[in-house]
Amino acid sequence: MTPALAQALVEPWWISVIKAFVIANLVLGTFAYLTVVERKLLGRMHLRYGPNRVGPFGLLQPIADLMKLLRKASFFPKGAVTMLYILAPILAAFTAISAFAVIPFGPGWEIGGYYVAGQIVDVSIALLLILALSAVGIYAFVVGGWASDSKYSLLGSMRTCAQLVSYEVSFGLAVLGVVIMAGSLRLTEIVAAQQEQIWFVVPQLVGFLCFFVAGVAETNRAPFDLPEAEQELVAGYHTEYGGIRWGMFQMSEYINMLTFSALGVTLFFGGWSGPILPAPIWFLLKLGALIFVFMWLRATLPRLRYDQLMKFGWKVLLPVATLNAIATAVLVTIF
Amino acid sequence: MDAGEILVWLVWIGAATALFASGLAVVLFQNPFYSALSLIVNLASLAVLFLLLSAEFVAAAQVLVYAGAVVVMFLFVTAYLGGRADAPWAGGPTLQSFFAVLAAGAIAVEVVVVIALTAGDRLTDPAEISDAFGSPAEIGRLFISDHLLAFEATSIVLLVAAVGGVILGTTAPRTVRAEGRAEVPER
Repeated sequence: MTPALAQALVEPWWISVIKAFVIANLVLGTFAYLTVVERKLLGRMHLRYGPNRVGPFGLLQPIADLMKLLRKASFFPKGAVTMLYILAPILAAFTAISAFAVIPFGPGWEIGGYYVAGQIVDVSIALLLILALSAVGIYAFVVGGWASDSKYSLLGSMRTCAQLVSYEVSFGLAVLGVVIMAGSLRLTEIVAAQQEQIWFVVPQLVGFLCFFVAGVAETNRAPFDLPEAEQELVAGYHTEYGGIRWGMFQMSEYINMLTFSALGVTLFFGGWSGPILPAPIWFLLKLGALIFVFMWLRATLPRLRYDQLMKFGWKVLLPVATLNAIATAVLVTIF
Repeated sequence: MDAGEILVWLVWIGAATALFASGLAVVLFQNPFYSALSLIVNLASLAVLFLLLSAEFVAAAQVLVYAGAVVVMFLFVTAYLGGRADAPWAGGPTLQSFFAVLAAGAIAVEVVVVIALTAGDRLTDPAEISDAFGSPAEIGRLFISDHLLAFEATSIVLLVAAVGGVILGTTAPRTVRAEGRAEVPER
């Protein structure tokens, strides 16, 4: 859809509010059930059953987990900086969920005489917005670790900070190729460009690989889960957290993985477009496939050492991502 | 005044107040960690003001570059090195802080005077902006046309600063490390 057409079909503000409510809750629900899916999948990959006691096939497990976390006593260390300690997990959850505002789920529909767009908001800087939100999310980890007044937390948060800042650069450069090919930072236009040309994963295969590796590191997932290496740091930045505050940190990490996969689908796999099935179904199918790869990686690869992580980020990933962006720019200019 | 204009005014007052308060907090906090955190609030409220001026790209870039990359480094260093007891203002105001306040005040007066002289009575007119105003494409076009020289000069300055940082960072600790090594008894 061209921007001019989208502008002619402006939806009333209350539809955006309803959509925001629905999508935020969908994201939270998906997160809850992804934890079960991950534990089941890991169980199968480890040749065991995984959770199967709460409800049929263990399907009520996330509700049981939530109740347990909510009912736990919310104590915190004596030396902790109370306000920052409480605010950090809230900030983490906020930045994680709000990134979903710009992800397009479909082409837009007409329901009851009203136009309903396929995303909550369509802004010209959608991609930058997601990057900026994830950059602000880093503060939650740093501040949470610092405010806990614990050496493990501080070291964990320093590691998180160093890792996220290092891989953020490669992440930005990896998506630059797509931005150059689509000629826009607007996610809806990037999806439209892929419908006209081809899924960007084909011409941007190197870019996608850089994007994926940097994304795994950005979301602190195995094999890049150094920030919470149990054997070295107890649990990293959230060592001193418990109950629902710990739950919010875990949730934000999970939702970050969800956001990142949704972004990958939108940038490289044609977003919601696909034949026969409705657009949101295609989106969810592609999203599920990418998330499966995340879980697969966790069950397969051992954790990197810290020096390996830094060396790989700065000496391999960054140059490759930069060359890919430059090569794309040159090729797009020539052809 | 309709509801939309009132909303804009409310957001503007909120963001401007937060900007001013957090700016004061940056220099008044005794703990550098809190100062850095206030700086983030400062940058975020500035981004809101940019959004009110239809400068979406600048707002996002502001958060991404300054809040995302620069202040993280400040926090990183202060969390590692500066203990919570660090107090740059301990012992009352110094001569340096007196002149710092004086210089900051002078710059503020200068900015107001320059804006008043160049803008004249145009400040009361509503600005006419096109749809493309503030969009990434338009800003990119301005960077490589009207402001090419300034853009390139800035990139060179940044490159020099980066090289300087690497040189300072790799040579200074070497002497410290050498001293440290001398203390280790030989096996």
